[in-house]
Amino acid sequence: MLTDLLYRLRSLFRRETVEAELDEELRFHYQRQMEKLMASGLKRDEATRQARVEVGGQEQLKEECRDARGVQLFENSLRDLRYSLRMLRKSPGFTVVAVLTLALGIGANTAIFSVIDSVLLSPLPYPDPARLVTLRQNDSLRNIDDILHQTKTLAHGGGVTIERMDYTGGPEPVQIRAAYVNAGLLETLGIAPMLGRLLSPDEDVKGGPHNMVITHRFWQEFLSGDPNVLGRSLTLNGNRYSVIGVMPASFALPEDETDIFVSLWVAYPEAAPFRGVHFMHTYWRLSPGVTLEQAQADISGIAGRLAQQYPDTEGKRQKTLVPLHQWLVGDIRPALLVLFGAVGLVFLIACANFAGLLTARAVSRRQEFVVRASLGAGRSRLLVQAITESVVLSLLGGAIGLALAKWGTSLLVSLKPAELDRFRGIQMDGRLFAFIFSISLLTGILFGLIPALGATSGNAADALKESGRGNTAGKFSDAFRNGLVATEFALALILLVAAGLMIKGFTRLQSVSPGFNPSDLMTMHLQLPITRYDKIPQQTAFRRELLTHLNGLPGVQAAMVTDLPFGGNYLDHRFAVDGRPPVPVGNEPVVQTLSVMGDYFEVMQIPILAGRGLTEMDRENQPLVAVVSEELVRRFFPNENPLGARVDFARTDEPHQWMTIVGVARDVKHGTLNEPPEATMYAPFAQSDEPWRRWMSLIVRQRGLARSSGLIAEVKQQVWAIDNQIPVSEIRSMEDWMSVSLARQRFNMVLLGLFAGLAMLLAAVGIYGTMAYRVSQRTNEIGIHIALGAQGADVLKLVLGDGAKLALAGIAVGIVGAAAITRVMASLLFEVTPTDPITFVLTTLLLATVALAACYLPARRATRVDPMVALRYE
Amino acid sequence: MPPRIELPQGTLDLLILRCLANEAQHGWAISERLQQISKDVLRVQQGSLYPALHRLERRGWIAAKWGASENNRRAKFYSLTRKGQKQLEAEREAWEALTTAVAQVLRTA
Repeated sequence: MLTDLLYRLRSLFRRETVEAELDEELRFHYQRQMEKLMASGLKRDEATRQARVEVGGQEQLKEECRDARGVQLFENSLRDLRYSLRMLRKSPGFTVVAVLTLALGIGANTAIFSVIDSVLLSPLPYPDPARLVTLRQNDSLRNIDDILHQTKTLAHGGGVTIERMDYTGGPEPVQIRAAYVNAGLLETLGIAPMLGRLLSPDEDVKGGPHNMVITHRFWQEFLSGDPNVLGRSLTLNGNRYSVIGVMPASFALPEDETDIFVSLWVAYPEAAPFRGVHFMHTYWRLSPGVTLEQAQADISGIAGRLAQQYPDTEGKRQKTLVPLHQWLVGDIRPALLVLFGAVGLVFLIACANFAGLLTARAVSRRQEFVVRASLGAGRSRLLVQAITESVVLSLLGGAIGLALAKWGTSLLVSLKPAELDRFRGIQMDGRLFAFIFSISLLTGILFGLIPALGATSGNAADALKESGRGNTAGKFSDAFRNGLVATEFALALILLVAAGLMIKGFTRLQSVSPGFNPSDLMTMHLQLPITRYDKIPQQTAFRRELLTHLNGLPGVQAAMVTDLPFGGNYLDHRFAVDGRPPVPVGNEPVVQTLSVMGDYFEVMQIPILAGRGLTEMDRENQPLVAVVSEELVRRFFPNENPLGARVDFARTDEPHQWMTIVGVARDVKHGTLNEPPEATMYAPFAQSDEPWRRWMSLIVRQRGLARSSGLIAEVKQQVWAIDNQIPVSEIRSMEDWMSVSLARQRFNMVLLGLFAGLAMLLAAVGIYGTMAYRVSQRTNEIGIHIALGAQGADVLKLVLGDGAKLALAGIAVGIVGAAAITRVMASLLFEVTPTDPITFVLTTLLLATVALAACYLPARRATRVDPMVALRYE
Repeated sequence: MPPRIELPQGTLDLLILRCLANEAQHGWAISERLQQISKDVLRVQQGSLYPALHRLERRGWIAAKWGASENNRRAKFYSLTRKGQKQLEAEREAWEALTTAVAQVLRTA
């Protein structure tokens, strides 16, 4: 096989040498024959004559030798290729439309595929990632230790919680993200440090040394990549921490972003010993050969034992293991699959269009095929030639599609919903090239073959009689093309409906009131260092002084809250109502608790529905008060007046400090707009007895100037005038926070919208092409109509009616298809049913209008047919 | 002149391979040798010989090399490859089996 191929290739590429050798070989034979004949006594001219006769026709002999050498196949292919290129150059319009159609289909497909590939298909960037699992529920350090102690199925495990730490000693005090971990975490993920070492178990203990491992980014940004960084110490939260290791640039935690890693025991000894503080996200590595089911059985057993031993904190808690990859892609998976489906439909439409174009071309070239067939060309030769042409087109389309995909992929990444942000590795590689190449090639062969089969079938004599534009020319092709156009419209309608639903859902979502007025609000995050602010009175003094200064600025209103709506943080407490029968420990209801200072409700413009808001008068040494949300009233005071009722956190250790409800506030969306509101309790910072709430978000309302840097500089200056060691971070407008929370929905909507638009455009091109072709075929018939007195409007109606029939047939099928298919999107839609009638009606109208518009141009041309010319046309 | 016989399809390949079994030869020598050994019964036309040689070369059964001829001119010599050797044996066996069987039938039927 190989020698055969090499031989053929040599014959092909070293053609001149090979031909010269053949000449020489034959000449040698001729001369030897001459010598022999002359030696036998013949005269020279007689010998020449006889030798010539014996040798026979030289050219035919050479041709037979070439055949024997097997170069024919290649030469034909080259000839086909040259011929195709020439034909394509001669009809640039056709070529451009065909190539662009495919390029768009292939490009969009490849861009989405590259995202799917990196997000859903690529393994996680840790060694042996299939063995990594996570617990769905957060857990405490104590429990992690107990699980590791008791497990028979987990080889490693560790937990992490992200906290902010103040880094002072740089040009400005800043907050950095610190991963509070146990020693097992980095070991579980299995990535070795680039420099130095990881935290060891013997330093991950109460009173252990202040050591930290830093990320590559922190090393570069804050320490300028100092090569002698090991052993260097930095001031974090007022303590000196020494760098013992640097992680490689490629390393990131599975979910969180962080700058440094410190031991939870060392950095936060107040929380570390408590079993009930379930604030660590945990990662585990299965022992080799252990299945997820075995590990789950093991961990459920451990959870059961913990529940018996510590009913008050562990009584109701479950532990569910999830493979890490599934956990990470879980949220975005349905969206990506819907997008992949959508882009697949776009590709189908593009293919249908391509096939339609080729069919029309094949029909108009039927004459040429027939003539060539009657001159002796085999059907297979004609088919191969037609396919060559479509393969050339599809490969060109693929190449341009690749460029589009490259651009599209960066567009996708720049739209990045937070979930995609994690997957930095989105890029195109060799496998993608292979993917594009194969779909291009397949498309070319398949869609070149179908029309070519139609065009080359049938009897040559019949075809010749049809004389070019006969009425029966390619009945098969006509039906095929009509089918294609109708299919395009069906698919386009499905996409349009999907996009319409998405857009409707998104507008619904955007119009959901968050419960406050987000415009003109600037927010920033402050954290009080524990060294000087470990008691409530100091914290209150700082907060009060800052707010007094800020509210003194002209046109500025400022307040503080522990956790901003849409800020991503959330704190809840077990909750009790005075006078209600006690609930067993561990079964208490939980509500979200927010501490505020200043006139929070006024600044946020959250309406107070009953009673009053919190004011500056609700301070220390005054009666304890709280404001609750509507949802809390619905849950706990369904038929009562909540005002005057007393509530508190459910405590087991201390006597209750009842707070009296003085007001009811409108519900505020805290997590995302599409979640139901939480039961929330607001209480004054000044009356809090939780000194660990040392952080706060500052909210500043200044009409029209919320984004101005002057205001930000002013606020920073006011903060640092009071204490120059306090970092100010996360400076963002409230609207920014909200738009981040909408990013994923926007991503889905923009993409589906884009694909639907593309689909509509392609379908329009498809029907335009078909109608234009039909009009040119029916010139004669139209001429008769006009000659018999038909007016322009009649002809217009005739052609438009023709097109409308096609489009409507497709649309009708599309409606049925959409109703069946859009159900898979239900989880992506907000307050819109997948069969929303308004969306269906509007998209149908839109598509029908586009179809009519696309048919209008050929119809106009039909009205201008000159009957005399048309009738002489035949 | 003895009567000439048309070569059955495929036999020419077998004969060429056999001629090359002992030594490398150029095309003219092969045709001469076939003619001599068959006592002029088998005469191979140039028009069949050279395409056959090129076909056998493509299949890898014979290899070609330029060398000096008996009268010291440049000529293309063909020789049997290992693959060709095997092919020759296989074809010879098949041919002998065929002729034996045909002779058997002719004698007895």
